[in-house]
Amino acid sequence: MEVLNENLKREFAVAASVLRKRLEQRPDRKSLRDLIEKSGLGRFKKSRRMTNRELESLFAKGGIVGVDGSTNSTAGPFPYIITVQQSLAKSTAIREEIYYTRVLCPLFMQEDMDEAEYLELTKSSLASLEAMAALEAVEKLKPAVILLDGSLVRLKIEAKNLWEDLKEAAINKGILLAGVVEGISTKVVSATLKESLPEAVREACDWELLFGTLDIGEGLEVVPTSFKEGFRTVFMRTSIDPKPIGIDLLEEQYEHLEQVESLIFTLTPQDGRGIPLWLDLVDKKVKISDALLEGLLKAYLGEDFSEFLTPKRAKRSP
Amino acid sequence: MQVVGLTTPQEVFVASRERKFRINEILVIEDPHQGSLIGEVVEANSYNRFIPLSINHDFVDARVIESLERLGYSISEDEINIARVKLRNEASFPVTTGAKVHLPEFSEVKDLLVRSTPQEGLALGEIKNTEETAATMDENLKGLFYVYTRGEKKRTKNVPFLLDLRSFQQYPHIGIFGGSGSGKSYGLRVIMEELMLKEIPAIILDPHYEMDFSTKEEGLEGTPDFNGAFKKFQIGEDIGVEFLALGKRDLLDLLSAVKPLTEAMSSAVEILHRRGDTLLSFSSRLELLAEALELGRIRIEKILQQDMEPQEREKYKKMKELLEEYPNIPLVSVQGISWRLRRLQASGLFNHNIKPVKEALLQGKLAVIQGPIWLLQVFSTYLLANLYRARRDYKDGELKGNAKGEYFPPFVIATDEAHNFAPKGYDAPSKGIITEIAQEGRKYGVFLVLATQRPTLLDETVTAQLNTKIIFRTVRGHDIATITEETDIGAEEAKRLPYLPSGDAFVSSPLFGRTVAIRVRLPYTKSPHTLNPFDEIKHYRQKAEEKLLDLLEAHLPIYEVNLLKVIQALNAEAPDLKLEVRTLKESLESLVKRGKLQKTDTPFGAMYHQ
Repeated sequence: MEVLNENLKREFAVAASVLRKRLEQRPDRKSLRDLIEKSGLGRFKKSRRMTNRELESLFAKGGIVGVDGSTNSTAGPFPYIITVQQSLAKSTAIREEIYYTRVLCPLFMQEDMDEAEYLELTKSSLASLEAMAALEAVEKLKPAVILLDGSLVRLKIEAKNLWEDLKEAAINKGILLAGVVEGISTKVVSATLKESLPEAVREACDWELLFGTLDIGEGLEVVPTSFKEGFRTVFMRTSIDPKPIGIDLLEEQYEHLEQVESLIFTLTPQDGRGIPLWLDLVDKKVKISDALLEGLLKAYLGEDFSEFLTPKRAKRSP
Repeated sequence: MQVVGLTTPQEVFVASRERKFRINEILVIEDPHQGSLIGEVVEANSYNRFIPLSINHDFVDARVIESLERLGYSISEDEINIARVKLRNEASFPVTTGAKVHLPEFSEVKDLLVRSTPQEGLALGEIKNTEETAATMDENLKGLFYVYTRGEKKRTKNVPFLLDLRSFQQYPHIGIFGGSGSGKSYGLRVIMEELMLKEIPAIILDPHYEMDFSTKEEGLEGTPDFNGAFKKFQIGEDIGVEFLALGKRDLLDLLSAVKPLTEAMSSAVEILHRRGDTLLSFSSRLELLAEALELGRIRIEKILQQDMEPQEREKYKKMKELLEEYPNIPLVSVQGISWRLRRLQASGLFNHNIKPVKEALLQGKLAVIQGPIWLLQVFSTYLLANLYRARRDYKDGELKGNAKGEYFPPFVIATDEAHNFAPKGYDAPSKGIITEIAQEGRKYGVFLVLATQRPTLLDETVTAQLNTKIIFRTVRGHDIATITEETDIGAEEAKRLPYLPSGDAFVSSPLFGRTVAIRVRLPYTKSPHTLNPFDEIKHYRQKAEEKLLDLLEAHLPIYEVNLLKVIQALNAEAPDLKLEVRTLKESLESLVKRGKLQKTDTPFGAMYHQ
């Protein structure tokens, strides 16, 4: 027991020191900014908060709509699971809310699939629900701006046809579509700077490199390359949180980039984690919590059958 | 509105999306199994599901919320209002969750709210937060008086709080508690006005000289005129004590009110005062004894052996007799007593009697008794005991079938600073009579209205007899504890006591069986000293200055060397100014400072001119 513990400690210490080294090798703020500017990757630009008058004129044009989705599955062993999905489009100007819901269960799918395939299916299903909510929002709520939780590229990949419809409708109606990405997973900075970067961070994600590099309200607008074709991307620090968020915008609506940046910056609590409050609100409202899922199960399946879906793991005493 | 969450037979939670709840509001719960249940809101909360203090640990700043509002989002859209409702009567079993809840129509809760009519009850104020219910109220209950809300005088829109006078027979006496500035004096004034309106005979002891009802509050329509309904009496000027009617006890109380008596003095008074003594006979006995004690027995005997006028001889003979009669009284005691007696005499106390007060009561008026508190204490003892006796004798006579006694009406006795008149823990002259009335007054129709800022200092026997208690803002923990002990006020209300706005009060009365939150109505009249003392200073100074300036004008320009002459002229014109060189110079300088006059230096010293 003692020996094992010692080993565990040693192993952990090694891992931690590697991580430390990596972090220490990150270029400092100034040199990284210089590198980025010299490389022509993009430009730094500071946003300002919108005035009340600007906000009011947005309201006059239909306000803004936040779109988000949520998915949750019962915790049983595959395929004894039920997945519940829901998307919501909610406007600041109109009370009506647009919901789309879907319930999936691998046991009753037409075609056989394994767990990984099922996971893919739930992903694209959720994306399509979100796209449907957004599409209906374009038709019914007619806002000035639609903020989607997550990247636009994801919609394009996961729900191709609906995305095309949404894009077309938005462009025709002059509605700005913007994706707000909380967890940036792209590597465009390291891919561009490559050799100029210390070895340890050559493969680093954008958020890792940009962590603390931007001022509050400052964005790094990435020059369009093959990266995310058809979109414009800005990494922006919108609050005291040093980790930036990503903003996606349609290439066709590029001229409104500044407005969108400014809007997102305005709607983000200064002391928060950097996400516009409206999206947080929509997220809260759409969320399918474990408690809700359990309630549904108990109500519709009954206590006895819901037991069927509970894995042994869940009964383990803590 | 509906019942949510876990319920008990005593308490439920009620939620509403549209309507915010207010404390003390009455709600009707439509329980499908138990019928209508009536409850009162004891706690009101609102919360927004999406904007709690933090969202995912983010603190939301007001600026962002405002931005969202500009974009058309109304925060209240996602707000939920929750009330904790205490049932009026315990239900047989827990209330059904999901039961519908509505605001009551007046007819549903009439018995809970109104226990009298505007003709019979004292309209003390409005029951708080009953606007919606009041809308369905009978017309004769609507808009009975004015209230002061948010700095404005408005006609009441709530259900009136009517204190049933007739119930006093069953539940006598009112206590009014509250710190300074809590609205206690207003409450007392309102009760007095109501008594006058109903022509109930009453007495109020007024140590603050504030109970005058001749100045009407401005901006109110249809205010009654109280000018004939009350009468002010100054002790020593309008009313006083008949020395002949004083008992030993009364006399001792009176004398000790000037300054406490020593043991020796008290026993001296007891020995010296005789039944049937007039002021003259008593005081001359005292003076003579004092003189005799000063001279001493031997000298008096010597003097008596000399030749003198028969009148003189009579005097010394009497001195000798007194010395023989009272051999053990020390001189200082006698001197002390006579000094006190002279002081009482000088106050005019013995020159009058209480007949005018009795007359006022017989006419159904309010008698306002004014005087300094030391005098008021002893005088009231005498006055109340006398009036109470008059009433009791009449009533007892009537009961014995001997209705020949002089009629004396039932009446109400009111006072502020009641803890001075019936203090806890020590004796005060008036304590005995107040305790007696508190305990027995009901039988004879004599009722007390006692106001105090320190309920803790009020005699407990008296407090226990105050059936209706009106409680204004109270901050002291001790007093709050006393109040919770003595009333049916609950923990929730007690917690709110320190924060009650001025004029708001809780009424605890066995008649209502629950604590009612009220806002006292605006009095029709106002106290003579509502002028802020600091404004008073300013007014006085301005007036004095203007007057001086007027007088000076004729003498301008004034040379410093010539001041004396100016002073003589001014003092002849206005002797009350009592000017001296120094004070005139100071006044001139101050006028210069304020720019009313100018000062120029000349070869003859300073010159003051316009």
